[in-house]
Order: sequence, then C-alpha cells, then structure tokens
Amino acid sequence: MDDISKITLSRRQLLKLLGAAGAGAALLPHLSFQARAQGLTIPDSGAMLPTDDVTLRWVDSGDQKAVFFREFFAAYEDTYPNINVAYDPLPWNEIAQVVPLGIRNGSAHDVFQVPLSVSPAQAVSEGWVQPLNDLIPDFEAWKAKFPAGVFLPGVTDFDGKTYSFPFTSAKRYGSHLLYNKEMMAQAGYDPETEPLTWSTFREAARIITEQGNGSYYGFIMGGNQINRWADIIRNFARMAGAVGGGGSPVVDDINFVTGEYNFNSEEYIAAVELLLALRDDGSVFPGILSINAPQARAFMPQGAAGMILQGPWNIPQWERDNPEFDFGLSSQPLPDDSDAWPLTISQGGANALWIFSGSSVANVAGDIFHYLGTVEGQTQWASIVGVADAPILPEAIANAELGARARQALTLFNDQIRVGPNPVVKNPDVVQASLELRTPEPSFPQVIQGLYTGQLTDVRAEMNGLQERYTAELERAIAAAVDKGAQVSRDDWVFSNWNPRADYGAADYDAL
Amino acid sequence: MMSTQPEPLQPSALSKTPNWTKTRWWFSGNRPRLVITTLILIPICLLWIYPFLWTVSAALKSNGEIFAGLGLIPRELELSNFPRAWTEANIGRYFINTVIITVSSVAIVVVTTAMMGYVLGRYRYPGKRIVIGILVATVFLPQGYTIIPVFELISSLGLSSSLIGVILGTSGGSPIIFILLFTGYFSRLPNELEEAAIIDGAGFLRVFWQVMLPLSKPIIATVAIMQTLHAWNDFLLPLVLTLSRPDLRTLSVGVYAFQGEFFIDWGGMAAAATITILPIIVLFLFMQRYFVEGIAGAVKQ
Amino acid sequence: MVRQGATIYKPKRQRSLWQEAWKYRWCYVFMLPSLILTGMFTFYPIIASWYFAFLDWSGFTAARTFVGLANFREVMTDDLFWGAFRRSMIFMVASVPLQMGLSLIVAIVLNDRALKLAPVFRTMFFIPVVTTTAIVGIVMSFVFSPFNGPVNGILRNLGIISRPIDFLGGADTALWTVIGVFVWKWFGITMIYWLASLQTIPQDLYEAARLDGATRPQLLRHIILPLLTPFAIVILLITAVGSLNVFALVQTMTGGGPFFASEVMEVYIYRTAFGTGGGGSVPRLGYASAAGVFFGIAVMVITIVQGLAVRRIRTRPIS
Repeated sequence: MDDISKITLSRRQLLKLLGAAGAGAALLPHLSFQARAQGLTIPDSGAMLPTDDVTLRWVDSGDQKAVFFREFFAAYEDTYPNINVAYDPLPWNEIAQVVPLGIRNGSAHDVFQVPLSVSPAQAVSEGWVQPLNDLIPDFEAWKAKFPAGVFLPGVTDFDGKTYSFPFTSAKRYGSHLLYNKEMMAQAGYDPETEPLTWSTFREAARIITEQGNGSYYGFIMGGNQINRWADIIRNFARMAGAVGGGGSPVVDDINFVTGEYNFNSEEYIAAVELLLALRDDGSVFPGILSINAPQARAFMPQGAAGMILQGPWNIPQWERDNPEFDFGLSSQPLPDDSDAWPLTISQGGANALWIFSGSSVANVAGDIFHYLGTVEGQTQWASIVGVADAPILPEAIANAELGARARQALTLFNDQIRVGPNPVVKNPDVVQASLELRTPEPSFPQVIQGLYTGQLTDVRAEMNGLQERYTAELERAIAAAVDKGAQVSRDDWVFSNWNPRADYGAADYDAL
Repeated sequence: MMSTQPEPLQPSALSKTPNWTKTRWWFSGNRPRLVITTLILIPICLLWIYPFLWTVSAALKSNGEIFAGLGLIPRELELSNFPRAWTEANIGRYFINTVIITVSSVAIVVVTTAMMGYVLGRYRYPGKRIVIGILVATVFLPQGYTIIPVFELISSLGLSSSLIGVILGTSGGSPIIFILLFTGYFSRLPNELEEAAIIDGAGFLRVFWQVMLPLSKPIIATVAIMQTLHAWNDFLLPLVLTLSRPDLRTLSVGVYAFQGEFFIDWGGMAAAATITILPIIVLFLFMQRYFVEGIAGAVKQ
Repeated sequence: MVRQGATIYKPKRQRSLWQEAWKYRWCYVFMLPSLILTGMFTFYPIIASWYFAFLDWSGFTAARTFVGLANFREVMTDDLFWGAFRRSMIFMVASVPLQMGLSLIVAIVLNDRALKLAPVFRTMFFIPVVTTTAIVGIVMSFVFSPFNGPVNGILRNLGIISRPIDFLGGADTALWTVIGVFVWKWFGITMIYWLASLQTIPQDLYEAARLDGATRPQLLRHIILPLLTPFAIVILLITAVGSLNVFALVQTMTGGGPFFASEVMEVYIYRTAFGTGGGGSVPRLGYASAAGVFFGIAVMVITIVQGLAVRRIRTRPIS
C-alpha cells in the first residue's frame, strides 16, 4: 500500500514544519527516510517465502511501532519485491473492533495485537491465532536465545506451543516526569539533580502556571484517554508504598502480600487528593478532558504546559519532530517523607504479536518475527525507536546507539522497576478465572476521571466502592471458573515470600 | 400521512413565487419592520454559518496562525493545507466512495420502494394486507441494536470487503416509511391515465414505468433527498463495515479517522473538512428547490 | 386486472387463492426486491437483536450461552444505563422544544414573501443540515476548543471569562454543548417542515382575517397556530425520534465523556456492545442488545402515551 508510506513521510514533514521555522526543511525527512530504509538489510532467514505476488496485512497499536515498521516494511518490500505489506497502525479502541470483526468474517489482518479486552487464553481457545512453532525458521534455536520469562505458559505458550511473540521489554513505565526545562528552571526547580516530590511537584505546577499567566500551565495530561488516570494514580501510590501488581487486568492493583486490592489504601487516596489539589490550584491545562494522550504530548513542545507524566515513547518523538524543544526527564514525583518503593511489572515482554489462524501468508509473518527476534533486528529496533519500547534482548540495548535521554530513562527504569510474581505462573488455572473477569463499571480510571471533573466528590467513599466492586467481581470470576472445573482460589494471588524491592524469580516460586 | 386532501404536492409550492400578491399587503405593509427584520436576521445567519466560515478560513491559514487570533481573513494565504489533506487524508478516494454509495443507494431505494408502493397502493391481491400490517408494525417496533446482525449478514454474503456491502446496508436501513409514502401517493392518483395506457395496449410493466412512475415525481424527489441525506450522513454502518478496509471508507469515516492520526494538524483537518463539506453545500445551492420540496413533501404527505 | 382505484371496481368472481395469486403475479414480482431488502436489513436485524438480548455473548467469540432474562435484569439495575436513559430524555426534552419553537418563529418570519432576502436566509439556516454529521462534530470540537478555539477566544475578548472553558470536557457543559450543536445542525430541516406546513394555509383566510380587523398576534394565535397543529404532531414525532437516536454527533464530539456526562443511550449501547470504555471493558453484545430492546420498548410506550394525550387534547371541543 503506497498510501501508507506517503502518509508517514508527509506526517513527519508536517510535524517538522510545525516545529522548525523553515519550509525548506520539508524535504529533509523524505531524504533521511530513504537513506535509512536503504541501510536496513534483511538477511535470509531460510523461511519458505512465496514467490508470487502476495500482500501481508499487519495491524498494531502504532505509536513507536509505526515509526519502526514503516521503515522496516519499506526495506522488506525492497528485499522481496513480490511481497507487499499493508500496515495499519490504529488506536487501541479501534483494534478492539477491527480485530474481532475481521476474525468473524475471515478478513482479519495476518498479524495483529489482541485487543486489551481479550485475554491471550481467550484468543487461543477461540481459534483466532496459530502457533509460531512451524512458522518461524529454526524455531527452537531462535526461542532459546531469549532470557527466561519472555515466553510463559498461560501468557504466550499454550499446550506446549508458542502463540505470540512479545518483542519488547515490559521494563518501562508510562508516567514518569517529562518537563520543559526552561519553565522548570524559571520556577526554581531542577528535577535532574533532585527529583520532585509530591509537594514540590504541586508547587512547581503552581509556580509555572502563575508565570504562564494564562498562556501556559503547570501540568497537562490526556484526560479523555481513560487509562491515563489509572496509570498516574496507581504509580504515585505504588511508589508511596501501596505495592502491587500491574500490567494485566488479572493482577492490576492487587497487593501480592495480602492478595487484596489496593484501592482504598491511604496511598491511593492520597494520590487522588494530590491530583485534585493540582486541579484546585488551577495548575492543570484547562482542556485536558477533551484531549487524548498523544494530543497532550503534542501540546508540550508547543509550550502549552510545563510538565507531563508519560512514558519514554515521548522522547524519540520530540527529539525527532521538535529538535528545538529542550526537555528533561526524571522519576515520577516521589513520596514526601518516605523512601520510594519500586514499581512492579509482570514477568514477560510487551507488544505481543500474533498470527491470524486464517492467514495465507503466515510464513511471511514468521520470517518477519524471526528477524525481529534476532540481535540484529532487535538492535535495529532500538536504534530507530530508542528506549520508547526497549528491545527484549539485553544485547540489543548494549549495541544500539542511544541518546543521553534514552540512557537516562533506561537507568531510571532499572532503578525503579522490579519483576513481580505472576499468579498464572503459580497456577495455570488462574487463566480460567481471567477469562471470566469483567472490569466492573464505573472502573478505576473512570472513577478517577469522575472525581477530577467533580461529578464524584467523596474520594474515600468512591475508593471504598471500587474496592468492593473489584473484589466482588474477582470472587465472582473465580467462582465461575471453579464451576467450570478450574482449580483456582484467592490464595493464588497471595505470595507470602514476595519482596517488592527484589525481582521475583523461579526460585521464589519453588520456595512458596 | 397528515394531508387531508388526496391531492399531489404542488411542485413549486416553496421555491417560486406563488400567488402571494394577494396577501402581500399584510406582511409588506410595514416597510421599516421589514428592514428591522432583515437587520436582525443578517447577523444571526452569519453566526449560524460562522463555524463553516471559520473552518474555511482555518484551512487557508498556517497552523501557527489558526489559533493566534479570531480574524477570518488570513494574514498570509496558506494553500498547502489542501493538497496535504487531499493526499494524506485520501479525501479523493473517500469522496468517490461516498458518491458511489449515495447514488447507488438512492437508485436502489427509489426503484424498489416505488415498485412496492405501486402495487400496494393500486392493487388488491392476496397477502397484501399482511404485508402492509407487518410494514406498519415495524415502524413501531423497538429496534434493538442491529449493527452486529447487519454486519454478520453482509459478511456471510461475502460482501464485507466491497462497496456493495455498504451500499446494500445503506439502502436496507429505513425504506419502510418511503414505501408507505409511495403507497399513499399511488393510491390517490386518478385512474384515467392508467386506463388510457391499458387501452393503448400497455402491459403492467409499461404502465408502471411510463405512466405511473413519472407521475410520482414529487415522492421520488422526497425519497431521493431523504435517502441522500441518510447515505451522506451515515456513520456507524460504514465505520463498522470498512474497519478492515480503509480504502473503502466514506468521507465521514475517513475524516474521522484522519482526525485520530493528524489531530494537531489543524490546518490540514480544516482543509479536509472544507473539501468534504463544500461540494455538498454547492450541490445543495444548485438543487435547493428539490431539497426543500423533497423534505417538505415528507411532512405534507 | 382488477385495480383498487377509486373509480372502477369489478365485483370478484369466486376463484381459488392460487388462481387469484397467479393473476396478480406481477404484484408479487414488484414486491420482491423491496421485501428482500427490508427482510434482510430491517426485519432480520431486529429479530436477531431480540434474540441476542437473551444471550451472554460478546458478539465476537463463538461462545454464547442462553441466559434468559438475566441481561434485562442487569440492565434495569445498572446505574449507568439509567444515567444514559436520563440523559437521552434530557436531550429530547431540551432539544425538541428548542428546535421546534425557534424554527417555527424563523419559519413564520421567513414565510413573508416581501422579505427580499428570505431565500438567502433560508439557505443559510439549512446549510448545517446537508453537512456530514461526523464532520460537524470534528469542526465543532475545533470551534469549542479550550486551546484558543474561537468560542473561548470571543468570550475572553469580551471579558466574560478569564480562564478558557472546556466546553466538551466539562461535566456541566458537555451535554448542553452537544444539545446546542444538535439543535443548530437539524434546525433547518424543522424550519422547512414548518414552512411547508405554513404554505398549506389558504390565503383567503388571511384576507378574511384582515377584513375582520384581526391584529398580527391575533392572526397568529387564532388562525395560523391552530391550522398548524396537525403538522406539529408529525414534526414533533420526527424531531423526538431523531433526538433519541443521536449518535454520530456525540461520538465525534465527546465520546460520551467526561465520566459519562454526555453519554446518551445510543452511545451507551455502542460502548457496551464494543467494549470501548477503556481500562479493560469487555464487549457484550448480548447485554447491549438487551439495553437496546429495553430502551426501544420504553420509547414505544412514551410514543403511545404521547399519542393518546394528543388525541385527547384534539378531541376536546375548542373553546
């Protein structure tokens, strides 16, 4: 599909134009695209590729993946002129419709990401996807090179077969501080030497807003993208001591020490109150409820706000599209009077890719997966994307040329993130409960948004309500799974030997 | 079906000056009042179309200038928004898709509902009452949520990856009220012309095509206009049906998707919106008479 | 052939049903295309959605369980459903009188042929009707943007506000802004309905009224408005149904947010059907269908009650 590549180029041209002053820069990205695409060579994996003209259709959630894949697919098409790749980067809420509808009528993309509302187990049991074992050349050797924990039963592997390939690392978080250096300096703070705390964060937002005098504000976020509310509050609270799981609906916000939800903990409540205090100070960009996260990101280089809490994927975008934008990054603001606790991630990778069971060009997808899993492919990914989504092979990070900010972010993540326990690893039957689990509504992020808009007022009562709803739903899901013959109980969420400050590994599971 | 007399709609009741001369005195007796009315209406109307003026003006400005001030005249004419929107938002393609869908669905709907309305309105045959009963009942039935069954049906026909699927879905949605419009109209037509045609040896088909259908022009206009508005505005059906085939999108879906990706390109968005909106406004200005009469026909009948 | 037309009517001879049907075979042929189309895209989807309402089914997977009335019970106890129900009612109650009342005033003013610019005004009022709804939504999200959008710009220049208002993101403003845009969008079509109705009033009546010495308000009250009543009922029905089915405009302007503040019924159903609520929402077509059917029944009841009330008023002797 020619249109897609045209879109990429012109989009960048456009963003460049927005940022840079000269219209003469318009042609530059085009040239650099060509040069880089030519520099990317794809070795022969030994896959049996078709020789007639075929089209591979690929859909994912875009963002940094779009940056990489547009370049990569262009090179891939150059290498195999008979293969045409139709790439559709789409927002998650469109994936939630495109993928299931496509599967229903047999027209699904050959490669896709499973919608957030569908669990991996569900995708496999519904027959949406096919195992990669016979599609990726030299599968066993290829798989063996990944660190332990990338491929997990109940997550990527089912019945001894591997169904999905998470090709990036989950070691990142999406709510660290990114700030406009000039505004921050004017406000009198330097988070690089001394990370902001909850109270200095609030104060900095207030001062920046005051200095902006209506033309810019202290803090911005994408408030109509509902998950942002959960991400920010959860991470504030976890660092303050409400330790718990995150990364999948089965473990989000659950404290593995007790197996209980954290919603009505003092830390969660305090984090919500911090956000409300920012609102009441008038320090928040007035339009946050009608913009999504990418829009909020785009407002930062325009000088509309001083601070944003987002992920490392902002770094390469701003560096590329707004080279004149001087920004810094630092930890999400830390608790005022206690040591910060680490954030917990699940074992395994991120950005899992799946191959449609009805795909007629699954071998092509297998060939691409193969390349993405080699040190070469992973290094290529890291070089183009940076740390936005760090590659899953550690060698690739070492090999890649990373900028100063990217290195800084990596250090931050290494300091602040630990791998936590995973109930699915402890007891594979937990998957059965996860199949039954439905997010209760109003959900955690919705409630936070409602508190922010003022439609809900009593923070403590609302958080207690969440605690009750989520607990009741988890119990209902477990009971339903047990009814269907699964061996699962609330105890599967309790890990008595869990230390949030250390990675939880195979030895710990054995010691349980 | 409110009309009390079985009399066809006057073709030019609204557009051309009818015999108003008699009553002119009543309204125009007071010239200052007319001037005041006009002076009040001018700003209201300008305000009314201000969003469009703003959009067109934004399309002619650079991204930096759009939000810099409220003036509608661009300081510097920025024409690059249009080619950018045209190529990147794929407006040309979407436009053709939308026109194909609209024209085809209007043709399908007019012909099928006219045929149905004709036999229901003018013949008495076994089963007719049942059909009318079911049709009328459907208007009052709770619709439920029908987009998924429609989607499944089109998929199982193997049409989900073609414009034909969208055309059928758009045509099938709402014609019951159109059938009833035709039925009512045909049942009130006098018999003489039809009889003359039969005496001339015309068969069933010829009577319909050459005599009755041309007589029903007012209803055809109504149905065509209502269906045009429906097809042009339809959002959910084309959205769901073209999810996996972006090249088949209609304008409304396409520009919506374009907004998702190019949200900070205000100028490009405004240009895309302008390209989408202008042709239909121009079409409307030329066909105004038919639009207005068509819509008026719906309520008069 | 025997036609039903008003003038000729031959008495029927006794014939078998089959003979009768064969005689009218062309009629069946003529019904066929339309019946197939409505059967496929009107009857089948309605019946299917009723059936889905009794299933626990995501709509996307093969697994579906018959659960009887469980979905309906859940719908009736779901606060979010009743919230959406309430907002749909607010939407109707606020938009319909506004739209009908204002457009009637404008129609009466424009019905004056001496008003030279009337066709121009009429055209301008009608323009929003012909523009694509989804694109109007996008244009309006620019116009109401808190980041220096023109509405905020004007309000700020006039000194009415000091801090921009997030019209589409504010809990108190989102629904009302959408209602306002909705009225603006469909105002023109209601105005045309009124104009068409006004022109059915025979000119002799005006003449006669003048001879009787009637003033303009008297003419309006005693001649124009009573004659418009039958049309008003049709217009009311069309407008009310339209306001309850609003979807594209809300979806493109606010998506139902913030925190459900502008979530009307169609958006609620769409969200539950496709699971677009974010944060792990699950698509539940069965449940969404139940909500759709339940809402449909409620609307039907409201329509019938409305119809009965109108009939009562009309049969009352005019005092």
